[in-house]
Amino acid sequence: MINTDALCHFFINNRKWVFWVLLAVVATAAIQFPKIQTDTDPENMLPTTDLDRQYHNQVKETFALHDSLVIGIVNPDSIYHPKTLAKLVKVTEFIDGLDSVVHQDILSLATVDNISQKEPGTIQFEWMMKTPPQSDERAQQIRSQVSRLPFLRNTIVSIDEKAATIYVPLIDKNTSFKTANEIRRYIDSLESDSLDNDQWHITGLPVAEDQFGHEMFVQMGISAPLAGLVIFILLWVFFRNIPFITAPMIIAMATVIITMGTLIAFGFTVHIMSSMIAIFLMPIAVVDSVHFLSEFSDNYKKDSDVKEVLSEVVGRLFQPMLFTSITSSIGFYSLLLTPIPPVQIFGAFVGTGILLAFALTIIFLPAYISQLNSKNLEKLIEINPDSEDSKIAGSVRRFGQIANSNTKIWYLVFIAISGISAYGISKIEINDNPVRWFKPDHQIRIADQVLNHHFAGTYDAYIVLEQPKNHTQALINITSDFESKHTLQSEFKNILDEFVNNLEKPDSNLTSTVDDTLFALEDFSFLDISEEQLKLSQDFALQLEEFLENTKPFLNPSNLSYIADLQEYLNTTGLVGKSNSLSDIVKTVNRELHSGSSEDFRLPNSNPAVAQTLLQYQSSHRPQDLWHFVTRDYSQSLVWLQLTSGDNKDMQQVINKVDEYIAANPLPAGMDYHWAGKAYLNLIWQEKMVAGMFDSLSGAFILVFLIMALLFRSFVFGAVAMLPLSLSIAFIYGIIGIIGKDYDMPIAVLSALTLGISVDFAIHFIERLRVNYRQLDNWNLAIKAMFEEPGRAITRNAIVIAIGFTPLLFAPLVPYITVGVLLASIMAISAVATLIMIPSVLKPFHKRVFN
Amino acid sequence: MKLKKITQCVILSVLAAAQSAVAQVDDEHARSIVQQAEMASYYAGNDGRSLARMIITDGNGQKQIRQFTILRQDVEDRGDQNLMVFFSRPSDVRDTVFRVLKHTTQDDDRWLYLPGLDLVKRISAGDKRTSFVGSHFFYEDVSGRNTEEDYFELLEENDEFYTIKAVPKNLSSVEFTHYIVNIEKSSMLPRKIEFYDAKDRLYRRVESLKIENIDGHPTVLHSRVEDLLNGGATEMQFRFVEYDLGLPETLFSERSLRTPPRRWLKIKG
Repeated sequence: MINTDALCHFFINNRKWVFWVLLAVVATAAIQFPKIQTDTDPENMLPTTDLDRQYHNQVKETFALHDSLVIGIVNPDSIYHPKTLAKLVKVTEFIDGLDSVVHQDILSLATVDNISQKEPGTIQFEWMMKTPPQSDERAQQIRSQVSRLPFLRNTIVSIDEKAATIYVPLIDKNTSFKTANEIRRYIDSLESDSLDNDQWHITGLPVAEDQFGHEMFVQMGISAPLAGLVIFILLWVFFRNIPFITAPMIIAMATVIITMGTLIAFGFTVHIMSSMIAIFLMPIAVVDSVHFLSEFSDNYKKDSDVKEVLSEVVGRLFQPMLFTSITSSIGFYSLLLTPIPPVQIFGAFVGTGILLAFALTIIFLPAYISQLNSKNLEKLIEINPDSEDSKIAGSVRRFGQIANSNTKIWYLVFIAISGISAYGISKIEINDNPVRWFKPDHQIRIADQVLNHHFAGTYDAYIVLEQPKNHTQALINITSDFESKHTLQSEFKNILDEFVNNLEKPDSNLTSTVDDTLFALEDFSFLDISEEQLKLSQDFALQLEEFLENTKPFLNPSNLSYIADLQEYLNTTGLVGKSNSLSDIVKTVNRELHSGSSEDFRLPNSNPAVAQTLLQYQSSHRPQDLWHFVTRDYSQSLVWLQLTSGDNKDMQQVINKVDEYIAANPLPAGMDYHWAGKAYLNLIWQEKMVAGMFDSLSGAFILVFLIMALLFRSFVFGAVAMLPLSLSIAFIYGIIGIIGKDYDMPIAVLSALTLGISVDFAIHFIERLRVNYRQLDNWNLAIKAMFEEPGRAITRNAIVIAIGFTPLLFAPLVPYITVGVLLASIMAISAVATLIMIPSVLKPFHKRVFN
Repeated sequence: MKLKKITQCVILSVLAAAQSAVAQVDDEHARSIVQQAEMASYYAGNDGRSLARMIITDGNGQKQIRQFTILRQDVEDRGDQNLMVFFSRPSDVRDTVFRVLKHTTQDDDRWLYLPGLDLVKRISAGDKRTSFVGSHFFYEDVSGRNTEEDYFELLEENDEFYTIKAVPKNLSSVEFTHYIVNIEKSSMLPRKIEFYDAKDRLYRRVESLKIENIDGHPTVLHSRVEDLLNGGATEMQFRFVEYDLGLPETLFSERSLRTPPRRWLKIKG
């Protein structure tokens, strides 16, 4: 066992060193702060190695998709007014002037093409609205043109024609908050005319995420100091001695600064989770000090030797404090079992921060108190917070009486609560939505609501259909087959050898390689060569071309028709506002190539016909739009789903529906499908989080139980110690299920870590109960004694932690509020549960258990 | 009556002067240089043929190819012109034909033949600055921008180049506010054209990368257009360029859309 006496004296005697070293460490940590980097990208909830995330990013790259802001203009009458449209043009032009946007992909009435038959039998691409319409007639003309184009309808102009959007793709999504603000400022500068009733909104997941990051900073700047202040006031209420309570404040601040400084110095980004580190550490760091100070003020008498009293206190508290610190940190460390990097970082740093706070309490507190003058210390005794007639004392005593009677009823109550909790937990709905991280009156929430009311949806998910076949090998075979059958001129042979070489390169692009070879073969055919070699080169070129044509599944009308059917089905689910695909493009262009009327809104009947239709589509002002829906080799095609809800549960349902559909209507042979898009990715990390949390929770449960068993050297006490907090946590989650609050990220994360914090009560209670029982050898007396000083200490600590978290209730962001409410209630409930449950559960068995 | 005419005349010339003072310098010397360049670029010989390859690269380096044969016949130098573009690759657009009757005093007539749909379609007059089959070239780059549409100003002249600034007469018909063209004195071909948008950003550049003398005509064999705003470029190479083949006028007819004139398209054999 550690010689705490020597330890304590050592630190007291070298207290100058203690102070200077602590100051140096804190200063070193503090100077790391300017290097802080925030990260609000929910994508980072998944590790960069995650397959779904990698696939999502690969899809974004393949189809040149960028995260987009969605700017909306709403006019309660109609957007087809020259004035409103003029503003839309102006704002679009302003946006095009920004460096942070992908210019060619800005989607607005002012940037898209109209494809039409200006005169019968002709076809034309023209800007839909390059300049603002000067008359109502022109505005109405635009209106009728838009209504003919399925791509624009309900995407950039709402069905009710009261809203229009500008999709602003960003080169780097991390600039979305800045870009959104620039646009907002510009829009505000437009709003000089008070007569119009156009309203502007800005939404889109990237802006929500980036804005969240911004507010997170504000939040950290407010909540953490506020938590410090609340704790300071509480300590003042308990001890009424400023120099005395300065010590725990120093410990709390030092813990927070060192932990955060280390996190920043290690290069970790501050994520939504890690931004809460300060607010978690502060109350927990103070708890050990509260025990220490209470114990000290109980034992310090006038004229006693400060050093001796301190040494005694350290000796008595070292073990329980160590164990409670270890169990608390285990609660946080258990988050390492959840495969969500920001959650792991949070767990690791808070866990370590708790151990640091313990070390500081043991090292710094004695050194600090030993240098206080005796006048200060004597004042402390006058207001002993543990006085037996305080308000807390009375309530705690009554508690004890209730707990120690009516055992049978209590058992029934516990069983009933378990039942209700089980029922509630079964009702829990797992769901999250980053936009809901803002309060309902936040401009982002309002924009989200308004735009999704008018439009088919601003949440994106993608279905990618593909035909994954290894064509490379087939081509190599064709080539070597050809080479072996014919005698080829050396230039010809070289072309084929290089072709095979290029095909064998790991990152070769098949279509490009074939195209290059076709060019080379053609060049060869113009050399001075024999008829036979010419014919051979043409034959081989033809073989290659045929091969290429046959490996372009998405020029095949039957495959496009499958996509169209799937889209039609999606429309019937009521979950997908709208979907856009290659099939829509082909049908629209085909219509304009033919009669222009709806009977020609169909797919042409051959691959070349589709290819030629698309060649026409590419003759617009925006030829690159095609490549958002199909790859250049036509082997992959993307269906863009617009969802009106960013709720993960809705995304899940869409996936289920698509699965069902595909099960009933099998994909064309050899075809495969995958999901991508932000809405999908959010669902994936949520799933991993839920599964991971189960691991964390069970991991923490087992470890804490083992430590309890080790501490009490008894499995029975270990089990009893786990009971109150298990019931509390089950109860809280049961209530969440019953009131229908979604089980989202903050709620998931809290389950495991509260286990570690709330077991502290049980540790202190059982430890003291065993001592009391041994001394008094009478159950009722022991329990009565328990509801004196130990009961008050537990109550006080529960109050410190619970109230310490309440500043979170004033946070502007919902997850922080959730954390605040949940932690405060778990602390309160598990303190009550501990005080009631342990006596009443043990009562019938106390003789057997204690002897 | 006479007085009225004179007043009208005065008013008109004042207006014109005011317009050029405010809007644009139009320099006759510069115009004649541009016209010579137009002649060299689009009207060499009485007719011509070339095999073109286009490699379209987007901002991410993804590529597409196009291959086609261009047949051209001038009705009149710097005047009307017939143009046929026969696509041969990618193979699924093979035999797609683009036909232009270029006019200097009215809008061009443009047709399209899509063999897969067996459809001849007329392209409406109007915006010619749309993509030419998905490339970074515009239709107008292929057929030539009418010199009457711009004001010209000679900015600089040295031993090698004329540097001329062009400003469109009708700003709303185009996406640029001006362009600056470097015309090479030795060939009288534009070597580089740089386009600026309303925000005065240089967003587009067309360059002649390789010029050779063919049958006495300086000829661009390799050109490139770059999208400087979004990245991406299209390279166009011309091979087997021939002039004065004696292409029959009947070849440039609607009939040739459906039945390609194999004889004139065959480069070899």
